[in-house]
Amino acid sequence: MTRLDFRTVPTRLAVIGVALLLPGVYGAGAVFAATGLTGAIAPDFVLKSVSGANVRLSEYRGDVVLVNFWATWCGECRTQLAELNEWQATYEGAGLRLLAINLDRRWTDMSKTAAALELSYPVLHDAALEVSQLYEVSTMPASVLIDRDGVIRDVIEGYGRRQDADVLERVRALLRE
Amino acid sequence: MQTMTKKYRRRRSAELVVLGCALLANATTFAQADNAALAELPEFNAAPASLGGSPAGSGDEFRTLDTDIQDMKQLLLELNRDLFLLEEELLFPANTQVAIFVSMDVGEFFGLDSVQIKLDDKEVANYLYTAREVDALIRGGVHQLFLGNLKAGEHELVAIFTGAGPHSRDYRRGATIEFEKGIGPKYIELAISDHAQALQPEFVVKEWE
Repeated sequence: MTRLDFRTVPTRLAVIGVALLLPGVYGAGAVFAATGLTGAIAPDFVLKSVSGANVRLSEYRGDVVLVNFWATWCGECRTQLAELNEWQATYEGAGLRLLAINLDRRWTDMSKTAAALELSYPVLHDAALEVSQLYEVSTMPASVLIDRDGVIRDVIEGYGRRQDADVLERVRALLRE
Repeated sequence: MQTMTKKYRRRRSAELVVLGCALLANATTFAQADNAALAELPEFNAAPASLGGSPAGSGDEFRTLDTDIQDMKQLLLELNRDLFLLEEELLFPANTQVAIFVSMDVGEFFGLDSVQIKLDDKEVANYLYTAREVDALIRGGVHQLFLGNLKAGEHELVAIFTGAGPHSRDYRRGATIEFEKGIGPKYIELAISDHAQALQPEFVVKEWE
């Protein structure tokens, strides 16, 4: 392995560049994105779930809904999905509903991963990517937090342990409203 | 040689200073982002609760205010309804309006999943039904699946029903109707019912007169 030679200018510039980018890699893995959707009524959609049932977002009006966009090729997504399983178990009685929307092309890829993770909430398939375009998803994973009136309160891009605690606190705040 | 070393040292110092500033700037950005995020939480924006009792005589004022608010809400609902009807009349005038409805009876032999509509070989609707919506249909509800405009003349409607048939097998059935679009609005009903004798679902396309 070649050792970095800090006497050369390119190496030093590279180190400075890494320092500038460092927060984007660790500790700030999730960003509360101020998109145009925040504050608007969540666009309604209906998708088929892995169980075969059709799920419509508007039927969850009155509950706090966390819509999570994921794909099987995204490692962080799988970690987050498993964590969301715990949130569902803990806060389901308080009115929290989770919807995991998969963006893979093939149904089989999604269903295998969902079965392996033993998810307790609906896993929906957005093969045509219509819903992800509706919600302007540009990063994976991405989560949309919707309050009991159907208004989008937060759009969270990425996943990070520290920001995950912040997201949970926001979920709890919405459940208290 | 000594001059080269001094220059080298100065350059190294400058680069270390830049590096330190970059790290400090990022830390500051985080702190500001955290504060901004915290400030948005309702707990931090809530006004402190007022102490002490309300002044005498304000109970009547509040009741009047409440009545006024209720009246305004009612007016707003009526206005919204009128606006919706006007909008519909504007976008879908009676002389070109066509509406397609879905109804369901019993549903023992067929579990509805989706309905696809094609008008003159062009897909105009593709609706997925949830369990709650199917239950509403079985209880007597009628769903307006499509509302659009058609020119006067002969047209063809093809409806494709997808769901679970007898013995929970996947079921896909089509129904076709050719109809004449006249001057007034055209209403077509897609009725799904159970054919008890055949033990199969029945799909009937009816025109409302």
